[in-house]
Amino acid sequence: MTIESVLLVSGALFAIGAYGAVSRRSLITVIMSLELMFNGVVIAAVGFSRFTPAAELLSGDPLTAEAIRSALTGHVFAIFVTAVAAGEAALAFALVFAMYRATESVEITDASEMKN
Amino acid sequence: MMPMMEVSTLTTIVFWAASAMTIGLAAIVVTQRDVFRAAIALAGSFLGVGILYFVLSAEFVGVVQILVYVGAISVLMAFAVMFIQDIASGSRPAQGRLVGAVVAVLIFAALAFTAYNTEWSSMDDITDSIAIAALTEGFVEVGTGDEIEIFTDAPLGDSDVVIENDGVFVDSTGAIGVMLVRKYMLAFEIIGLLLIAALIGGLLLMRERKSTEEPEPATKNGGASV
Repeated sequence: MTIESVLLVSGALFAIGAYGAVSRRSLITVIMSLELMFNGVVIAAVGFSRFTPAAELLSGDPLTAEAIRSALTGHVFAIFVTAVAAGEAALAFALVFAMYRATESVEITDASEMKN
Repeated sequence: MMPMMEVSTLTTIVFWAASAMTIGLAAIVVTQRDVFRAAIALAGSFLGVGILYFVLSAEFVGVVQILVYVGAISVLMAFAVMFIQDIASGSRPAQGRLVGAVVAVLIFAALAFTAYNTEWSSMDDITDSIAIAALTEGFVEVGTGDEIEIFTDAPLGDSDVVIENDGVFVDSTGAIGVMLVRKYMLAFEIIGLLLIAALIGGLLLMRERKSTEEPEPATKNGGASV
């Protein structure tokens, strides 16, 4: 387990999500694919946090508690991305329901017309 | 000196097993015709990602992943699939499959090429022994205000304020909590605001619209119509 292997898994998950987002027809599966892409990105952030040192720890300055904790910046980043993704998922489903009510369809090709 | 934060064989095995689970189930999510099965596979994939976080010694992120993704978002997906009956029977893949596959392979190739052709700095580059101990074993903050010094052991017979901490990778939850309320205070507050906005926006969008026959109420408070 090295930073390369973590990035490989992260990239694979991102690419699978990208494939799904382009090739699926139903809006719900497109949202699922987007969530997969979010997860791929977060894996990379946590992996960097685990395997590469924070710049503050290499600078040679006197050690501070903030510099030590900055080793976990990737984790904080992961939590913020998760929070944004959760809010985004809730809003996206509300939009899908609104569209379903208006057009009786959740196919992405039907969403190109905004008349309703 | 021992290499810092050694990776054991068992950890590597669990890492690859969780990776296989995550990627395999993700492939099912994007190929399965039955949307409900895709939602179930998605929950499993999220769980695999959660295990990956635990393996990467990010326990708090792992717990958040399981709570938010496996617990909440998957249930939201399952509800959405059951609510909209049309798609439960199957969703056709679009004509853009070939384009999607080409794009995905190109993205993956670029990412993998970058990952293997970049010289990443390593944890072994940290030479300061106090920093190494602070990451893996623990550290002690001595003093108050701007005059805080870091030690590996608390000095005896000192009247200063002493705060003992575990190593940040051992007790990541505590360190993340401190970061959220100090360094990232503003971002933390803004995330709260964002979630409130998403909640209200979701409620507004989901609201049952009045039928067009009914006359609109005379007192409109504005901004509520979607």
